[in-house]
Amino acid sequence: MERLYCDGRLCVACHACEVACAVEHSSSRNILSVISTGEFAFPRRLVQGVGESPYRPRVGGVALSLGCQHCSPAACVDACISGAMHKEGGATVCDTEQCVGCWMCVMACPFDAITPLKTAWKCDLCPNRVELSGRARYACVEACPTEALRTAGCESVTDNRQPVTGNR
Amino acid sequence: MRRVIIGLSAAGVSAVETLREGDPQSEIVAIADESLIYSRPLLSYYLATKLEMPRLLYRPSDFFERNRLTTVFTRATRIDPQNQRVYLENGGVESYDQLLIATGARPRFPRAAGLEKKGVFGLRRIEDVHGMFERLPSVKRAVILGAGLVGLKAAAALREHDVEVTILVGSRHVLSQMLDEPSARVYEEIFRRHGVSIVTGVKPAAVLGNGEVSGVETADGQVFPCDLVVVGKGVDPNMELVSDTRINTEYGIVVDKYCETSVPNVFAAGDVAQAPDIIRGETWINALWPCAVEQGRIAALNMLGREISYRGSMRMNSVQFFNLPVISAGLAVLTPGPLGARPGEHDETLEERPSESVYRKVFLKDDTIVGFVQIGEVGTAGLLKVLMERRLNIAGIKSNLLSPRLNLGFLLPLLEENRDRFDEVEFQELMDSVGV
Ligand SMILES: Cc1cc2nc3c(=O)[nH]c(=O)nc-3n(C[C@H](O)[C@H](O)[C@H](O)COP(=O)(O)OP(=O)(O)OC[C@H]3O[C@@H](n4cnc5c(N)ncnc54)[C@H](O)[C@@H]3O)c2cc1C
Ligand code: SF4
Ligand code: SF4
Repeated sequence: MERLYCDGRLCVACHACEVACAVEHSSSRNILSVISTGEFAFPRRLVQGVGESPYRPRVGGVALSLGCQHCSPAACVDACISGAMHKEGGATVCDTEQCVGCWMCVMACPFDAITPLKTAWKCDLCPNRVELSGRARYACVEACPTEALRTAGCESVTDNRQPVTGNR
Repeated sequence: MRRVIIGLSAAGVSAVETLREGDPQSEIVAIADESLIYSRPLLSYYLATKLEMPRLLYRPSDFFERNRLTTVFTRATRIDPQNQRVYLENGGVESYDQLLIATGARPRFPRAAGLEKKGVFGLRRIEDVHGMFERLPSVKRAVILGAGLVGLKAAAALREHDVEVTILVGSRHVLSQMLDEPSARVYEEIFRRHGVSIVTGVKPAAVLGNGEVSGVETADGQVFPCDLVVVGKGVDPNMELVSDTRINTEYGIVVDKYCETSVPNVFAAGDVAQAPDIIRGETWINALWPCAVEQGRIAALNMLGREISYRGSMRMNSVQFFNLPVISAGLAVLTPGPLGARPGEHDETLEERPSESVYRKVFLKDDTIVGFVQIGEVGTAGLLKVLMERRLNIAGIKSNLLSPRLNLGFLLPLLEENRDRFDEVEFQELMDSVGV
């Protein structure tokens, strides 16, 4: 199972991952079009200050880019009353056609990873990105200029941990 | 190994999938008096014609084959744990090595005369909705008995059919098991604005009519004429089939942290089960979808011999009425009642109402969260839930608990300090990987 991680020592809170994610999940998948037409775009991961008061602006401090952990078993899937939230391979994905916007999943997710928009909005691990755009596997990982964002399987994360110099 | 499951809804389905995944070989038999696997919580959406039948079916149509499930579509009438047998309404008998009781619950009907008349419905099974659909063309007025979650959902759904709706409530306010008075008032306002009348402090005495419903008379003599009555007052567990057995029951079938009953090899899960409750520290029925799914899985894992213990359930519910969302979790009701907090279970409340339709409230006891309500903005509910569920001391972050911008980053140091309460691999890996 693959998850995305952010190294707090490398993240500079530039929000590039958020922008890349929002664009990737817009209908045009094109940043110029998103900016010029104002089409709907919203990120599925958010940069957050570690231990910082949500009301205080960030000065220095450690930041992290956080999103869905693709849990197994997943509390959001257990809670979903419509079957919209489901597992696809290792990924936890919301079928937005089936979602009724009851926010049971928002309440259930311990990682604060689901945004209640019109339907549940969350990381889907960029399905088919390579096939669709010929670009890197994950939009956020590709966009991160400091290589703070990386992927790791369950076992490898601890190995990756020591000198984390952005091996992805 | 022959495993028998009675009831095939949230808890039963989750158990079947877990059992099949963990044991590809052995026999699984499901006894169910409904042959369709559908989502009960979506029934009110269906009644409101917000979605069509296919969307109620939350599992693919090959569910039975895929899980190689033997099905017996009839009612189970009696269990004989001594001889490990289940007796069926159709005369059959099923023997088992392990049994899971996932028979759920049914609407609780009030004590009133005439409830058997045509036009009186619960809202629990798909037939209830189809029965209402059949009747609706000639329905002008409906009376809802009880202002629980299901009662209000039914009321909102019937407004979509332009039916005049009156809700008769015994307590002082609606949703008395889910919201305290000030939070409930927000909803009463909205329901009234949408053309629903709410009459509080009344008890129904009789459903009037000559075979067919023509009205409801209350104990204080008021008469509310109507052509449809919906009962929405809470549920009673379907546990008659274990009466006369050694299986321990109280409000429901009592289970331990392995979801096993007092009789070995007999498990129970879902709305029928009285399972450990995290916040209350005792067993309780939390008749909710997520609890049923989780308990179904825990029971199945233990049937497979994995010895997985259940963290415990917790009351938590999220709904929307007329587009205004509300989440209520834990001991969020101060008024005493079967689900409310008892004296001494709260010692502090944090509260904020920044606008007409936004309301937040957190209930504390000894600096841990024991309940919360969010109306209007519900984005941080998952974080409050995890703080509550893991019993973290929030003394240092009290001033931020109501913030709509509360986020995981802010909470991470607190979570890290209490790392022993976060044994899931997802939490462990997250904390490892951040490198801070
Ligand atoms: C209108 C409505 C809205 C709801 N909304 C929400 C919500 O928003 N959030 C939430 O968390 N929960 C909600 N719920 C509650 C949720 O649906 C239940 O908690 C959940 O369905 C419980 O699942 P279960 O498997 O324990 O039992 P059930 O769903 O009750 O299923 C039990 C099954 O067993 C069958 N059965 C019973 N006795 C026997 C027998 N003797 N022999 C054979 N079969 C038997 C029943 O017919 C049924 O098919 C709602 C419920 C309703 C009705
Ligand atoms: S949305 Fe939340 S609960 Fe669901 S898989 Fe992602 S992190 Fe886990
Ligand atoms: S909001 Fe959508 S995905 Fe989330 S629980 Fe409700 S139906 Fe499922």
